[in-house]
Amino acid sequence: MRDDLDLFQGTLDLLILKSLIWGERHGYAVARWIADTTKEDLQVEEGALYTALHRLHKRKWVTADWGVSDNNRKAKFYSLTPLGRKQLRTQVDTWERYARAVSRVIQATA
Amino acid sequence: MKSFRKLFRLERTAADVNRSIDDELAFHFEQTIQDLIATGMTPEAARAEADRRFGDRRTAEQRMAYLDRQRIGSDRRAAWWAAIAQDAKYAVRGLRMRPAFAATIIITLGLGIGANAAMFGIVDRLLFRPPAYLKNPGRTHRVFFARTFDGKERFSENTTYKRVLEIDSLTTSFARTAAYFVSEVAIGSGVESRERPVFGAGARFFEFFDAPPVLGRYFGRSEDSLPIGAPVAVLSYAFWQGEYGGRRDVINETIKVGTETFTIIGVAPPGLGVEFATKPVLLIIPITRMASVLFGPDGVPLYYNSHSYGWVSLIAEREEGVSVETASSDLTNAFRRSYAAQVAESPGTTLASIAKPRALAAPIHKDRGPNPRADSQVAKWLEGVALVVLLIACANVANLLLARAVQRRREIAVRLALGVNRGRLIAQLLTESILLAGLGGLTGLAIAQWGGAALRAAFLPEADWSANIIDPRTIVFTLVISMIAGIISGLAPALYSGRGDVSGALKSGAREGTLHKSRTRTTLLIMQGALSVILLVGAGLFVRSLLNVRSLHMGFDVEQLLAVTVDMRGTTLPLEQRGELRRRLLARAKELPAVQNAARALTIPFYMTISGDVRIAGVDTSARWLREVTRQAGSQEYFETTGTRIVRGRGFDASDVKGGALSIVVSEALAKAAWPGKDALGQCVRMGSDTNPCRTVVGIAENVMLGSLREPETYHYYLPIDQYLTGNSGSLFVRVRGRGASQVESVRRGLQQIMPGTSYVNVVPLSDRVAPETKSWRLGATMFVIFGALALGLAAIGLYSVIAYGVTQRQHELGVRVALGAQSQQILSLILRQGMVLAFAGVSIGTLIAISGGKWIKPLLYNVSPTDPLVFSGVIGVLVLTALAACIVPARRAASVDPNVALRSD
Repeated sequence: MRDDLDLFQGTLDLLILKSLIWGERHGYAVARWIADTTKEDLQVEEGALYTALHRLHKRKWVTADWGVSDNNRKAKFYSLTPLGRKQLRTQVDTWERYARAVSRVIQATA
Repeated sequence: MKSFRKLFRLERTAADVNRSIDDELAFHFEQTIQDLIATGMTPEAARAEADRRFGDRRTAEQRMAYLDRQRIGSDRRAAWWAAIAQDAKYAVRGLRMRPAFAATIIITLGLGIGANAAMFGIVDRLLFRPPAYLKNPGRTHRVFFARTFDGKERFSENTTYKRVLEIDSLTTSFARTAAYFVSEVAIGSGVESRERPVFGAGARFFEFFDAPPVLGRYFGRSEDSLPIGAPVAVLSYAFWQGEYGGRRDVINETIKVGTETFTIIGVAPPGLGVEFATKPVLLIIPITRMASVLFGPDGVPLYYNSHSYGWVSLIAEREEGVSVETASSDLTNAFRRSYAAQVAESPGTTLASIAKPRALAAPIHKDRGPNPRADSQVAKWLEGVALVVLLIACANVANLLLARAVQRRREIAVRLALGVNRGRLIAQLLTESILLAGLGGLTGLAIAQWGGAALRAAFLPEADWSANIIDPRTIVFTLVISMIAGIISGLAPALYSGRGDVSGALKSGAREGTLHKSRTRTTLLIMQGALSVILLVGAGLFVRSLLNVRSLHMGFDVEQLLAVTVDMRGTTLPLEQRGELRRRLLARAKELPAVQNAARALTIPFYMTISGDVRIAGVDTSARWLREVTRQAGSQEYFETTGTRIVRGRGFDASDVKGGALSIVVSEALAKAAWPGKDALGQCVRMGSDTNPCRTVVGIAENVMLGSLREPETYHYYLPIDQYLTGNSGSLFVRVRGRGASQVESVRRGLQQIMPGTSYVNVVPLSDRVAPETKSWRLGATMFVIFGALALGLAAIGLYSVIAYGVTQRQHELGVRVALGAQSQQILSLILRQGMVLAFAGVSIGTLIAISGGKWIKPLLYNVSPTDPLVFSGVIGVLVLTALAACIVPARRAASVDPNVALRSD
């Protein structure tokens, strides 16, 4: 395993919001999706992930509801609110500009 | 899957929050472990890996719980506000559907709240609000000096400047003290000059306040120096604005004050020191300069060297950490030492063992000190009265809302049946009444703004007119009182609706369920009646007092008399010409067409008195009487002019001239005290000292009131003015045909024609001098009558609406009665009896309360018993008649019920 990449402040929020864009998910599914998608390059501590979910709930970017999981277990499902969708758009935009700027600097030749 | 969602409710409480987090994480771990086992891990290894991936579980749980609680809290607040907004919207819609109903309630509450807002503004200023800009209101005191006369301790704020200096040097409890005095002084020059109030202040007066001058500077101690301070003046803000248009270049301009020319050095901020004046002042000048303006060159050495002139008042600021008691005893010690020195200096002074001098550090609010003005006592009463009016208004509104709640029984029952929470229903009904009260409060503020100006002019003539009546304190008070009024008037109806019996209300027709409702409404009505009685009794007592004061014979006629004083204003005349001017003025006055008679006099009642020491053989005047003896001097027309009756002997006549036989006229009270059981006529009285020549008593005059309507038995005597040493000065009494006040200008113009140089005459109706004395009764009578009429009107409307409403509701029953053969006469008396029983209950309770509470108001009355039978029978009569009038209309309507119509409806 390579060295863990630390998450920038706010990046976790972005990842969570993105994970919910195709519909509601419980916390475990969000964690799995992030791990699978990043091929485990990003080490997301799950305790921080749950805390972040509750914070997003408080900010009304996501709503939460109890439901039943695929294997018939009681689970808490999160889904994006319109406000959350808007946030996601803004954050993706910000992140892309940031990444472009950084990579331009790195690739500069003179 | 989604359909199962609602099986589990979302968390609401702290316990729910923790359980919900436990459940969420339990699922997470279970799922993680299950997936890891599926990849081939042992259960132990899978559990360890799950824990590693999660990290610090305790911290995460705590943070999640904290976030959830915050979210729930803010959601709940949002829901609460949304509910309020919804209630308000609902209430507004309900009121707009019944504009007349809403307007009635808003106006009713508006009158009650307006009365309170207006009175609060007054009472707040009189008793609670500290003087503007004052740095330490809690530690600043008015100093009062007490002496015992006649076995009674009397407090006075006025003292001599010498006493102020002595107190300053003998006390240690005070950070600063300042003397001040307000007097009317001629201001300006030429024909424009008039006597206007001027404030004389010690230089340290300004240090009491946190109020830099608006312009220029204040005077300092070097300009407030002995014997005569500098001729510098600080303009009051109002005078600067009004007279100088707020020009910034007024500094160093000059202004004529009395006979002297002052330089303007600054402008005070608005309202500075108004609490210490009785009228809005124009200027503030050094107190040591004011002494020279008032007393002239002869008085200057005396005012600070002797105790001849008692004039100034004193304010003092306690040092931090010194108690009020310590400060007072420090003052008392200083006063006693100063008094002992005074006794040693002038042997005529009442001995300290009898006068028992004492000083007091009193509160900064004049009316919280030992000599509260009768006006402020009346104001306090009126604030209470205003509260009672509001209570009556609330009762009326409660009755109206209750009547509507009864009408809305079915609607409310339907809503309850549909699952509306009772608490929410009550909250919603209360929102409605609070909304109404809020609108009533706005109406009240408008009423207070409109009526408050008149009130303030009456109670606070010294107040700064530029200040707004509706200040923040009044607004807050109005807001609070409106809320309370809304809750009081809405509570009973809301609770009534909230506890409604759903099935009963739904089953019954509209006419049912109306008879059992009446206990609350009956109680409210009786209470209104009782309160109206109390207010009207108060009104009656004040009116009687006022009538007594008006018809009071003060020992002289007030209405027809004008008092004329002369101000030489720098025009100096030789001594003999001054006497000649008075004689010419007298002759001139008698020629004027409106004038009946005129006389010269030394003093003017209720304006100035002169005490005169008399010596009578065999009577130790200083020890035995212990009452002030006052002196008047008059020309031979004096008694006919003033209307003071001679009881025995004669008044002055042509024989009482300079060089003639020395004569004196004494008041009845003085005659009785000096020669008990003997005839005063022919007795000998000496002035001032036992070696002076005898004056023979030639007449006994009726007693007169000179300074207080409550002390008629003054010891007073009269000397022929030509035989009086200072007979060259003095005033004039002019008796006119008709009312004196209407002749002021013609008399003034007539007399002014013969005045030399810059000198001028001041003509004031005597009624103006007496008016302040009767003000408290005039105010009390006027305001009690207004508030009492308001209360009676509200109570009558309340009674009318309840009876009328009852008749409408009972139409069916009345129809049955008529159908069964009841005469319309019987129906009429049935309804009337119902109303009159309520009225009598209210009257009885009110009468009992008024009788038992009478002793509290007694000190404010004048020669009226607080249980005056005339007042009580009058009030009871008015109330019964009003109740009858309120009941007769609905009773008539009831009597004319057509059984066919009544029985077919519903």
